[in-house]
This record gives sequence, structure tokens and C-alpha cells, in this order.
Amino acid sequence: MNSGIDLQGSFIQLLVDLGLPVEVARVAWLPLPMLLVLVGATLGVLVTTWLERKISAAAQQRIGPEFAGPLGMLIPIADGLKLLVKEDIIPAKADSLLFTLGPAIVVIPVFLSFLIVPFGQNLLITDLGIGVFLWISLSSIAPIGLLMAGYASNNKYSLLGGLRAAAQSISYEIPLALSVVAIVMMSNSLSTIDIVQQQSGYGILGWNVWRQPIGFLIFWIAALAECERLPFDLPEAEEELVAGYQTEYAGIKFGLFYLGSYVNLVLSSLFVSVLYLGGWNFIIPIESLASWLSISESTPWLQVLTGSLGIIMTLLKAYLLVFLAILLRWTLPRVRIDQLLDLGWKFLLPVSLVNLLLTAALKLTFPFAFGG
Amino acid sequence: MNLADGVQIVSFGVLALMMLGAALGVVLLENIVYSAFLLGGVFISIAGLYILLNAGFVAAAQVLIYVGAVNVLILFGIMLVNKRQNFVPLRNAWVGKITTAAVCLGLFALLGTMVLATPWAISTAPVAGDTSTVVIGMHFFSDFLLPFELASVLLLMALIGAIVLARREFLPDALEREETQQPVLTLPERPRELASAAPGSPDRTLGTSPTQRNV
Amino acid sequence: MDFANLVAQLNAGTILPEGIIIATLLLVLVGDLIVGRTSSRWTPYVAIAGLLAAVVALYFQWNNPNSISFLGGFNSDSLSVIFRVIIALSAALTILMSVRYVEQSGTSLAEFLVILLTATLGGMFMAGADELVMTYVSFETLGISSYLLTGYMKRDPRSNEAALKYLLIGASSSAIFLYGISLLYGLSGGETRLTAITANILANNVDQSIGLLIALVFVIAGIAFKIAAVPFHQWTPDVYEGSPTPVVAFLSVGSKSAGFALAIRLLVSAFPAVSEQWHFVLAALAILSMLLGNVVALAQTSMKRLLAYSSIGQAGFVMIGLVLGTEAGYASMIFYLLIYLFMNLGGFACIILFTLRTGTDEISEYSGLYQKDPLLTLCLSVCLLSLGGIPPLAGFFGKLYLFWAGWQAGAYWLVLLGLITSVISIYYYIRVVKMMVVKEPEEMSEAVKNYPAVNWNLPGMRPLQVGVVFALVTTSLAGILSNPLFTLANNAVLLTPMLQPTITTIQPAPNPATPGYADLESETKEAIEG
Repeated sequence: MNSGIDLQGSFIQLLVDLGLPVEVARVAWLPLPMLLVLVGATLGVLVTTWLERKISAAAQQRIGPEFAGPLGMLIPIADGLKLLVKEDIIPAKADSLLFTLGPAIVVIPVFLSFLIVPFGQNLLITDLGIGVFLWISLSSIAPIGLLMAGYASNNKYSLLGGLRAAAQSISYEIPLALSVVAIVMMSNSLSTIDIVQQQSGYGILGWNVWRQPIGFLIFWIAALAECERLPFDLPEAEEELVAGYQTEYAGIKFGLFYLGSYVNLVLSSLFVSVLYLGGWNFIIPIESLASWLSISESTPWLQVLTGSLGIIMTLLKAYLLVFLAILLRWTLPRVRIDQLLDLGWKFLLPVSLVNLLLTAALKLTFPFAFGG
Repeated sequence: MNLADGVQIVSFGVLALMMLGAALGVVLLENIVYSAFLLGGVFISIAGLYILLNAGFVAAAQVLIYVGAVNVLILFGIMLVNKRQNFVPLRNAWVGKITTAAVCLGLFALLGTMVLATPWAISTAPVAGDTSTVVIGMHFFSDFLLPFELASVLLLMALIGAIVLARREFLPDALEREETQQPVLTLPERPRELASAAPGSPDRTLGTSPTQRNV
Repeated sequence: MDFANLVAQLNAGTILPEGIIIATLLLVLVGDLIVGRTSSRWTPYVAIAGLLAAVVALYFQWNNPNSISFLGGFNSDSLSVIFRVIIALSAALTILMSVRYVEQSGTSLAEFLVILLTATLGGMFMAGADELVMTYVSFETLGISSYLLTGYMKRDPRSNEAALKYLLIGASSSAIFLYGISLLYGLSGGETRLTAITANILANNVDQSIGLLIALVFVIAGIAFKIAAVPFHQWTPDVYEGSPTPVVAFLSVGSKSAGFALAIRLLVSAFPAVSEQWHFVLAALAILSMLLGNVVALAQTSMKRLLAYSSIGQAGFVMIGLVLGTEAGYASMIFYLLIYLFMNLGGFACIILFTLRTGTDEISEYSGLYQKDPLLTLCLSVCLLSLGGIPPLAGFFGKLYLFWAGWQAGAYWLVLLGLITSVISIYYYIRVVKMMVVKEPEEMSEAVKNYPAVNWNLPGMRPLQVGVVFALVTTSLAGILSNPLFTLANNAVLLTPMLQPTITTIQPAPNPATPGYADLESETKEAIEG
């Protein structure tokens, strides 16, 4: 397996060649990934909100945003600017400290999870040994922020929304984690890189979705519930709860919630593509394509091509899923809270346990096909 | 001192201060909701210390279990309880507070002395780092196999116990009539009235819905 | 590696009794799930059968030369076998007396049985745990199931209060215990097996450090909570009064025996370096328990509270045997626990019967019971007198042996104090007996006047009758025919290598990578990498 492009190494090498000491070069590298994550995730959200407007319009046979930029593409930026400059209201009897802290606690873990999303062999911020486990544990922090926001708003709808959000989030975390465990069992590793690599080699046929169809569905349903997307957007069900924990929020704090939920959607889609859809792999394995055309794997332009193809493939797969999620939102009705919890505890949890056992059994029986 | 060491020392200092501050806040603040949120802060800081010790898996597990499960449950508990009345301020409450503080400081001094006075045997084994999950798994299936399996029985029982405590009782009529001769076991709650909550009605909530059976 | 090979390598046969109990537990749980409420007709008998099968399996473990299993995690020596028998028997007797009680309170029986069986399982593993992690997990298994059992009558506010108190005090004591054993882990340089800990502590030259003493104090605090020794006893009266009576019966015998088993194993094998200190601390606890338990019991008006304080006092007597540190001391302790099992559970069975028929457990309500229910009176009198130590009954021989062992070992003051407090205890036991037997018909209490006709044919009454009669027979005969029990207790101590003085001092440090461990490790590694 070739190592692909090593951005960090080349960057530090470049600075060292320019005459800087190694330590300084490393320090200079430090903020870059953080900036990259922030900018990348925010851009992803902007695209997603635009998609949401356009697709919902199409689903309802409207045109959607049209005048701001070509095809209304500047409308997300206008939205963002509006939220930034709007007055930031803190209700008189609210707990202002917790009220401010809540959105931050919801958003920060989501951004941190981008650390382990791979776009290529070396195109990720850090390849941790605990990989996806970090994402699962970080996503369990969000309910605290939601409860904090709900409580601090001093509003019964907010509190109910916060409680619902936390209940929903901890209920669906379990099937989500169990279906991830099934994947991990097949890959023998928690690292996202290893998980993708284990799927590469046979092109589209090697992707986990064929070996884990049940796990894929459970993961997707649970991920939608974790993102509080319709049909699972009980915490902000407007007919019952006004807007749930967001009721009292305005301006940039509301914007943070908004941002957080969309980043979460993009992140979940990225994880589905990494865990089940082969990550950065092309439909046919690129190495065999190269050897078929008798091009050496270490050719620079091939490496650049592979790298950019990886990024494009990952994003393509992720945005396909985002599209699916948006389509689901505008076609399905909302479930009731008891149906939601019944689905989580009485259906998804047992099914995901069975899926886990089945995976273990298959792994023992067919070690070749299931990662022995 | 190179960069890595500097970062380590600074992060240790920040995390330790965060942890101490949050822990003191948990104990000293009057508002129980603040205490609960600060408890989450304590757990997060401990997870940070684990990361500094190269125990990433333990840190993530700490966040998942303590912040994601335990602390959220505590918050649920606090927010679902109706606080009916304020505590009446005790007279001479300061005596209790000062005694507690003295006992705690004494205990701290004792344990601190002990930690400093003991010649600890420091392990020379290399740090597992990223392979720690493998090491932990191997221990679970070799020398810690029995406690690991016993823990599964413990968790099963805890699950059953939690459901037993949370579910509503549906008593068959026959048993209830038979109960008349036992004044000591007469129960303050009327189970028959509760039985009218038909399955599927919207007032079913998290605590009870997954647990009804044998109706 | 196939399953049989793995079992042989781990020496897993030693936990066959526990395996039987787990199977029973699952059978009860799944059976109840499938059949529904009517399953309460057979689940208790399945549970008792499972417990008795476990006792039979334990019989075959007796004097097993190859007692260490699970790579040092579990020790199935004769000492642990006898304690596991006591715990399993106490659970079986508890189930006999709980069938009717649970049914009548309108809660479901199967879950009660499942939690009780888990508590038994925790206790049994605790009796044999030879490693700190195992010790703590089993300690918690027993603890958490006890909290659940205590709060099982959830619509009774007294039961809720008892459960909450027990939970809070139990959680803090288990935290203290955990701190203690984590200090042990640190002092021994990262060892969790008890035998290795001793060797490593000596090797690291920390055997006289203040750390070891603090570890000792914390560990004793945790154990003393389980056996309800005096400064750690505050939970006992309230919990005993509030929780369901069968649960109290189990707590006072099963849970306590498990605590004693843990105390012997942990103190003898992990703290030989501070042996003098722990003997001193335990002697102090024994004295306090005997004094406070028996004196405060005098003032009680509720039967359950009376037995709560009496059980504190009895724990004090048993601790005499532990403090002596001689073979006779340990043997007398086991002998007394065996007898205590029957007489205390018999007493509780009678109280349950009386409560079921009259709905009260005030001592004054017992007056004149003799006229209405002679069997109950007889059994309760025999059990109480035996607890007090009246000559022909079993309790007398138990105490005799304890005090004799104490006198032999030169613990004169302890024995003297035991004698005095025994006399005090006889006073309050006899008070109840007198109340039941001597009173004239016109002095009968209201509850006894309205006493329902004795009818053993009600559902769930038969097992209770069996329990009462069994306890009556064993308590009255075990004293006169105590020789088999006596030999059993002596052999249990003689056959346990841990308690032999030559071995208790210092064991050679076992090789950390024993062949079994290395083998298994490499196999696991292969499995993971392959």
C-alpha cells in the first residue's frame, strides 16, 4: 500500500528547507489543521443548507432561492451574515452563563470529531488508535449542552425539548455504537484508516454495505435520530414545543445550534461513507487500474490524482447521503415520542445485537470474507 | 525543555486547575444544577489527564460513560424532580461545615503524606499507547476473564432491577381481593387506577413504556 | 483451541456450582418471560433445586488439590467451599420463606428470585475471589443486588427509605473499600492476585509503610460494612426494619457470611505484614459490636429491629474467632456460622409467618401466641433460645466452641466480655419467649385474638412450613448431634493451605508469567492478529 500524499511532512520539510528550525516549523503547522476543520465544516454546512432549500423546493414543486447569486447559491452566506449581526437576546430570567455555554458545548464536540474523518490514506488530521470510538464518545457530550440550554432558558418548552433531545440521543447511541462495533469486529481495528483499507481492493464489491446491510440501515436510522432530523426531530417539534430547546435563542447562539445540527448531519454522512461505503475508494480499485495501464504507483501526478479523487469520492458519497436525508425530511411525517423510543429500545437495540452476534458468527465461519 | 514537554506541562496545569475548581464547585455551590454540570467538567478534566498519560482509550471510555451516561442521568434525575420546598436554614450550620472541612483537610493531609512517604514501585513496562485496546482486550480474555464475565451477570441484574423499580404494577384482581387480611402490606398506591393507561396512549413516558408485560 | 481445552486450561470446573446458579437464574428469568404470571407456581422450586444442585456440586469440590482457577482469579479451596455452601443454603431457605410473602405483597416473584440468585452468586464468588478485581466485582454484585432486594416492595415507603439508606451508605463504603484495594495494587507495584501482593509488598520494602496501614483501615471499613460491625452498623436497624423480611434474613446470614469469607481471605493473605494491627482493629470492632448490639437490643420494641441488633451482636461473637488467628479460632467461626444459618433463618421464618397472619411485627403483639399457634411458638422459642445460647440447643455449642478456642488462644478479656454480653442477650431473647408462652388467655394481644385459623394449604404456605420445620429440627438437633458439623468446620480449616501457619507467612513470589497465562496470552494474540 503506497503512503500517498503526506501533507504535514511536506509542509514541515518545506519550512525547514526555507531555513526555519524544525520546532518552529511544527508549531507553524499546528493551527493549520484546526483552521482547515473549521473552514471545511462550515463550507460543508453552507452547501448543505443551500441543498436543503433547493431540494425542499423541488419536493414541493417550487423554485426555491433564485436571486442571490447563480441558482441562489449565495443565500446560505446571507443567512449566516443575518444570524451574525442579529441582536443577541438573553431572556431576563434566564441563567445567562449556562444559556451562553449550552450552544458551545453542543457545537464543539461535533467539530472535534472531524479529527478522525479520512479523505485519503494520509489526508486526515490524526490517525488515532481509538478512531471511531472517539466519535462515539464525543457525540455523547452533546446531550449535556442540550440539557443546559433547555434548563437555562427558563421556559417549559425549552426544558421539555432539552429532556427529549437528551433522551433521544442516549437511546439511539446504543444501536449506533453496536453497529459500529460490528464493523470494528470485521476490520480488527478502531482506526478509520484501517476500516477504509479493509474495504479497498475489490472496488464497489468490497464495501461494507454488502456485508453489513442490517448494520448500515440501523446506523443510518440512528444517525438521523442523533442529528434530530425529521422524522426524528421531536426535540424541536414545532406543533408541540414551539422550537424545543431553541425557543429562546436568537442571533448567533441560535446560529450555533443551527450550525451544529447541520455539521452533525454532514459528519454522520461522512461516517456512513467511511464505515459502509468504502471511504475514499473509487468504484473500481485505482491501483489495479494503474497497473492495468502500466503506470507506476509512485508517479507524482497519479498520486495527486488519487488524492483528489479520494476527496471527491468521500464528499460525493457523503453528499449523496445528505441528499437522502433531506429527501426523507420532506417526505416522511414525524413520529411520536413513544414511537420514537419504542423504535429505539424495542426494535433497533435487539436487531443491532443480533446483527453483532451474526457478524461474530460469520467471522468465525468465513474468516476470509469477514475479516478473519 | 522541548515543545512536547512544554505543551504537556501547560496542559497538565490547566487540566488540574480545571478539575480542582470544578470539583470544589460541585461540593460548595448551593445550586444543585450547577453542581451537576460542574461534575461533567470534573469528568472531562480527568479524561484529559488520561490523555496526557497516553491512555486514549480510557479517556474516551471515561467521556462516554461518565459524561455521556452517568452525568446525563444525574441531570435527568435533577430536572425531572419537582423541587417542592426550600430547605430551612439550619441553626449553627457553620459547625457542621467547619467540622466537615477539618475532617476533609485532615484526610487530605494524611493521604498526601502517605503518597509522598511511600516508596512506590514504578512500572518500567513500556506504555501501550495506541495498542492499549489490544492489551485491554487480551487481559479481559485471559487473567481477568472471570470478573469480566461476572460483570455481565451484574449488568443483567442491574437492568432487571432498574425495570422492576421503574415499571407500573398491574395486579390481577384475584390477588388483590385476597390481600384484605394484611394491614401491614396494604399499599398506599392504587394500582387499578393506573391500569387505565392503555398501551400506546400518548402519556406513556420513557420510564415505563419498554417494561410492561404480563398484563 | 477448542472449548474443552480452554476449560481445562482455566481449570473452570471449580466454578461449576456458580455455573449451575447462573443457568438456574436464566431458566427462571426466561421461563417467567415466556409463561407469564402463572410461572410463580414453579419458579421458586426451580431456584431451590438449582441452589441444592450447586451445593451438591460443591460437595465434589471438597478438598480439591487443584483449587486455583482462572489464572489465579478464583480459589476453590475448602474454606471457600464451606462458605459457598453456607451462602447457597441461606439463599435456598430464604426462597422457601419468601414465596408467600412476595405473592402477598403483590410484586412479581420471578424477578425477586433472579435478583436473589444474583446476590447469592456475588456472595459465592466473593467467598472464593483470590484477586482484587474479582473481589471488587463480586462485592458490587452482592451489594447492588442487595440494594435492589431491599427496595423491592417499592410501594411501601419504608422499603424505599431502607433501600435509599442502604444504597448511600453501601456506595460510600464500597468506594472506601475500592480506595483501599487500589492502594494495595499500587504498593505491590501493579499486582492484583492476593498471594503475589504479599510477596511484592515485602520485596518493595513497603511492608511497614503508612500506605499499607491506610489500605488496611480502608479495606476493613469496607468489609465491616458488609458484616455490620459496630462503627459501620448504622444502616442495619433501619434497613432491617424497612426491607422485606425474607431479604433481611438473607442479608443477616448470606451477605454476612460472604463478608466474613472475604475478611479471612483478604486479611490473611494480603496483610500478613501488618497482622498485629489488623488483629487489634478487629478485636476492637468485635468488642464494640458485642457490647452495642446486645445492649441496644434490650430496648427494642419491634421484632425486626431486635433481630437487627442481635445480628450485630452475633457478628461480634463470630469476629472473636477471626481475631484469634488460630486454627481452632477459624474452625469455631465456621462452625458458629453454620449453626447461625439455621437458627437465624428459622427465627426469621417464624417472624414472616406471624407477619403474614397478623400483619405486625411488634414484640408486644406476640403475647399469648402459644394458645393459638403452638408450632410457631415452639419454633420461634427454640430459635431465639438457641441464638441466646441455652444449653441443649445448637447455639450453645457454637458459643462454647468459640469461647473455648478464645480461652485456648489466651484472649481472656474477649471471652469474658463475650460471656457477659451473651447473658445480656439471653435476657431479651427470653423476654419474647416469655411473652408468647407465659401469658394468660386474657392477656392476649389484639393481633393474637384475631389470629386466623392455621391453614397451610394457601398457595406458598407449604414451603414456609417446610422451612420452619426444617429450621426447628436442625436447630434442636444440631447441638446434640453437632459432631459432623464440627468435623466439617475443622477439616475446612485444616485443608485450606492459606490458613496453615507455615504458608501464611510468606509465599514465594509466583512467576508472573505462569505457563497457563503465557499460553493463553499468545493464543489470544494470535486470535486477534489472525
